Amino acid sequence: MASKIAIQDFDDITYNPFDSDEINFGATLDPYPQIAEWRATAPVIEGDYRSKMGLTSALYPDRKVFTVVGTKEILETLTDMDRFSNEGYKFNIGRTFGEGSISTMDNPEHGRWRKIFQKIFLPQNVKPWGEEIVDPIVKGLMDKFIPRGEADLIEEFTILYPFAIIYKQLDLPVDDIKTFQRLAIGQTDYVNADKAIEAGRKQGVYFSQLVEERRKHPGDDLVSLLANTEVDGDYLPDLVLISFLRQLMNAAGDTTYRGTSILLTALLDNPDQFDAIRADRSLIPQAIEEALRWDGPVLVQLRMAKVDTVLGGVAIPAGSLLDVVAGAANRDPAIFADPDRFDIFRERKPHFSFSRGPHICVGQHLARVEMTRALHAVLDNLPNLRFDPDKPRPEIRGSMMRVPRHLYVRFGD
Amino acid sequence: MPAITVITREGEERAVDAGAGLSLMEAIRDAGIDELLALCGGCCSCATCHVKVDPAFLPLLPAMSEDESDLLDSSEHRDVTSRLSCQISMGEELAGLRVTIAPED
Repeated sequence: MASKIAIQDFDDITYNPFDSDEINFGATLDPYPQIAEWRATAPVIEGDYRSKMGLTSALYPDRKVFTVVGTKEILETLTDMDRFSNEGYKFNIGRTFGEGSISTMDNPEHGRWRKIFQKIFLPQNVKPWGEEIVDPIVKGLMDKFIPRGEADLIEEFTILYPFAIIYKQLDLPVDDIKTFQRLAIGQTDYVNADKAIEAGRKQGVYFSQLVEERRKHPGDDLVSLLANTEVDGDYLPDLVLISFLRQLMNAAGDTTYRGTSILLTALLDNPDQFDAIRADRSLIPQAIEEALRWDGPVLVQLRMAKVDTVLGGVAIPAGSLLDVVAGAANRDPAIFADPDRFDIFRERKPHFSFSRGPHICVGQHLARVEMTRALHAVLDNLPNLRFDPDKPRPEIRGSMMRVPRHLYVRFGD
Repeated sequence: MPAITVITREGEERAVDAGAGLSLMEAIRDAGIDELLALCGGCCSCATCHVKVDPAFLPLLPAMSEDESDLLDSSEHRDVTSRLSCQISMGEELAGLRVTIAPED
């Protein structure tokens, strides 16, 4: 008889992890003027980004923190592995996703494990998932609201589809999904650190059972694939595997939800550009890249100085933390002319929204597949899509992570 | 310092002095040729430092790892002369090397 895998909810079942977004990631309507002001002053400024943006510092140890907003210094921090480390993440995501999260590691250890995940998420490997997995999920969600001629595209679509894709990829038991999502979202409630840690612990127990089960009875899902991947004759260490699975909801679900929401908002706000895409869908890739540049879902990465160093003329003692505002480079007027303007036709240059350096987003190609399929589905199924004139316009908010809460639309006649 | 020739996407030939110990990617980047994106910074984690190597020099290059080959497979422009320039370490034996920056994917 197959063992029953048990998922455990928070001890306090009245806790609502979905309320944690604003205190953790901010509600600032537009952080970019503030960032531009800093950039005009200096490329590196003392103090942490969160408190500068009016947020509680969360799971940060007591040590010097600097905020990096100059593009050259951002690139330096993200790519110079001799001077800068990812160890800073051990203090926060290392405690929730787990010490085996490759985001907390430096090379060569990081590279050893990353290679395995990277191979799974190569463009040629994730492309088929578009038709096999993404399309049916997207269509299923849209079918529920298409007859109404109106919808909230966040609540009814973008906040659902990337997570549904993960549940499908992990082949999670349907009964577990509700609790699973509560734990997954709670894991990043750093301001309520006890909840984040409880969520991480319970996710870990759940995933351990799931991994054991899939080693015994492998399916064609991602857990089975990872659980049975051998590295130099051994399985991936459980610590690395379980940490990766914990991180997946945040790294693959939350970011894609935000990125797709911002893409659709930007296109509805710029109907001429939306029309251009309707007339020529070959513009979709550049529209996605521009949405990621213009207002990427994740603004900040964390690094730690490995040695005493100087960055942008500022002395940084070893052990200091650096809030690297990669989103600042996306709006650097020296790189992107008229940077605050959403323009799918602008000169193509690489943005910073998947970060840079050895930790560049390992899921970026899947994110593009998901956003591409989502936009095709919108074009196919929601003709004459427009803002609902009777409802509030969407407002993209957040200073750490960005998203609009609602996107009320009408379509059809 | 081996002198090499880099051909840009526009077909312009640029003479580059490649410092010993640098990777080919670093040598191209340090010469100010910014169309070679190398977004991951040179650790075989993306495919944005893709170059085409003069076939005469192919036998002199280090063998290609499976990871490099997988990444190159993600490019529509891969051919038998394709390499990721971050995986090629510059030594005197590569003096005179000619490489062309591959088209952007």
